[in-house]
Amino acid sequence: MKISKKIVLIGHFGVGKSSLIRRFVENTFTEDYKVTIGVHILKKEVTLPKSNDDITLVIWDLEGNDDITNTRPSYLIGTNGFLYVFDMTRPATYQSLENDLDYIKDRYPNIPLKVIGNKKDLVTNDFIKQNKDVFGRFVDFYTSAKSGTNVDDVFTNLAEAVIKEAKK
Amino acid sequence: MLEQYKKEYSQSVNQYIVVDLDGNILESDNVIFPDVVGKNLSDIHPFFESVHSALLEPNKRHIFSCIHLTNPENQTIITDIIVKTFDGKQPPLVAILDLTTHYDNYQTTAQVRNESVINSQILELKNEYLQEKEAFKNAFIANFSHELRDPLTGILTFSDILKKTHLNDEQLNYLRVIDSSSTYLKQLIEDILDISKIEAGKLDLVISPFNIKQLLEDIQSVFAIKAQQKGLELITNFNDNLPEIVGGDALRLRQVLSNLLENAIKFTEEGTVTFNASLNQIRAQKASIHFQVKDTGIGIPEDKLEDIFTSFTQLNNSQAYKGAGLGLAIAKHLVSLTHSKISVDSTVGEGSTFSTNINFILDKNQVLKSKKKDVLTPPKSNRKFSILLVEDSEITQLSILKILASRGNYFLDIVTKGEDVIPRIENSEFDLILMDIKLPNSYGDEITKLIRKMPEREHKKIPVIALTARVMKDDLKRYKKAGINDVIQKPFDENTLVSKIEEYLK
Repeated sequence: MKISKKIVLIGHFGVGKSSLIRRFVENTFTEDYKVTIGVHILKKEVTLPKSNDDITLVIWDLEGNDDITNTRPSYLIGTNGFLYVFDMTRPATYQSLENDLDYIKDRYPNIPLKVIGNKKDLVTNDFIKQNKDVFGRFVDFYTSAKSGTNVDDVFTNLAEAVIKEAKK
Repeated sequence: MLEQYKKEYSQSVNQYIVVDLDGNILESDNVIFPDVVGKNLSDIHPFFESVHSALLEPNKRHIFSCIHLTNPENQTIITDIIVKTFDGKQPPLVAILDLTTHYDNYQTTAQVRNESVINSQILELKNEYLQEKEAFKNAFIANFSHELRDPLTGILTFSDILKKTHLNDEQLNYLRVIDSSSTYLKQLIEDILDISKIEAGKLDLVISPFNIKQLLEDIQSVFAIKAQQKGLELITNFNDNLPEIVGGDALRLRQVLSNLLENAIKFTEEGTVTFNASLNQIRAQKASIHFQVKDTGIGIPEDKLEDIFTSFTQLNNSQAYKGAGLGLAIAKHLVSLTHSKISVDSTVGEGSTFSTNINFILDKNQVLKSKKKDVLTPPKSNRKFSILLVEDSEITQLSILKILASRGNYFLDIVTKGEDVIPRIENSEFDLILMDIKLPNSYGDEITKLIRKMPEREHKKIPVIALTARVMKDDLKRYKKAGINDVIQKPFDENTLVSKIEEYLK
């Protein structure tokens, strides 16, 4: 049976949500920043390495918002999994990380959520260690859409969690 | 605006689709997606795969704004999509409204806004980074210079002491080399500290009355010798109508004029160096004095005239002219603190002329006060004075011991640790305390606070003079607040130390 799951990427503008999706779906990257307005929807079929399930991920690339509570509720109808993305080089994009995660978990308690520190290519490992108070507590993956680091892993890991949740 | 909206909305194109609860298309017009009857909504676009659940809730109206779809011509259209459900008898309606033109305009605005916010955040971060780097540099310079001062104090004072012993001509020549090298090193450290103060915005003028004619004559006598040593002639023209006592920062004025003269002599191989000072005007209790230093030296190319005032810039990079290239940068900044500028005219091979106009205060009260002070002479006394030196550096201890011992009227007691100071004061009678600021595990200003809180009145009133290299504006405020009476800056020479001590033991 064909399984289709809706994945929503959420976070401030300019953090690289569209670039992560482009890297995952098309395996391409561009340095040019084009702001996302509204929502772009792409899909990709994947075979999950652990369960061997075939799954179609319908990926919703939401416009960035510095206040997550302003996200249009209609965009989140039928969501099966969240990816919260922030830019490790811009503190403004993770200053409200804890509150944002609480907000999502409160409203969508049973929906898997993964947190991504993006633009890993622009920071050093020392920088990540120095910010372990924030990053270490919340981050599931450090990614680089530019180099592709961890990008496939993020999506497949979330898909596994979504399938696991669906089977409960 | 209304007309613009009307125009935009009148161009919009709408498609209405009737579906069953599984998303199968029952009826549709063919405006955006033709020939879709019989297909499922999810065949039109992945968007619809995710909104099946919205079809199942009766009597609801969901609006999905700004959804990017791809039409059969493979073009991106930006739409609002309305999903309206009714009760069980009536099938749901899906309306697709093509608002591409409207959203394109919004996209342009959002692009500009977001780029601007991101750029300003990045600039802020860069600025923070640069400020941190700058603070680190200034702290490093201040600390490093401080560490250099203790050994330099030793060299300077022992050179002075050595001069007074019986030396033959050869030994005296060697001593002169040590003396001039250490004096140059001292000047270099002071320049570097000044530059770090300037860059930290912590260099301010200290205004007090002084005899400007005397100061100019002092400078003349120093540089006449320097010029003569290089085979040059120093010509001075100080106008007779110059005021005698003015209010200003004598130390910094001396520094500016000395830097200009030092440079003139350095870059002149033959000919003259002319030093002029004349009164421009007196207005509103202020005197504007014009200073000019002119040389017949190597000159400066026109395109480099601005560069010479930049720190660590020396145009002639050959080893013929020593120096860190800080003098003019410091002079320029000091003059700018008086709201003035240094101008320069130069011709390569003919020489350079540096000029500036500086305002001084002409206040009768200050002048009288200063004159009164000038005629005071310290009373001579045969009394012996007891001094406590709080200092951990053995070199500085030995230097001060030698200097004071040579005077014959001082007893010196030394403690090296902060915790020993109060007990020593309680058990002795001191006329003055020389207090190092940075001690092992304690600070001289904190110890002074404790001294000022001692119960015995005599102890509270003992003059405390700080010995330190840390003389930034904030440091001086802190020392004063702690009850420190005065400061001797490291490295110091014999005269500075003795005259400051005598000032408080009159």
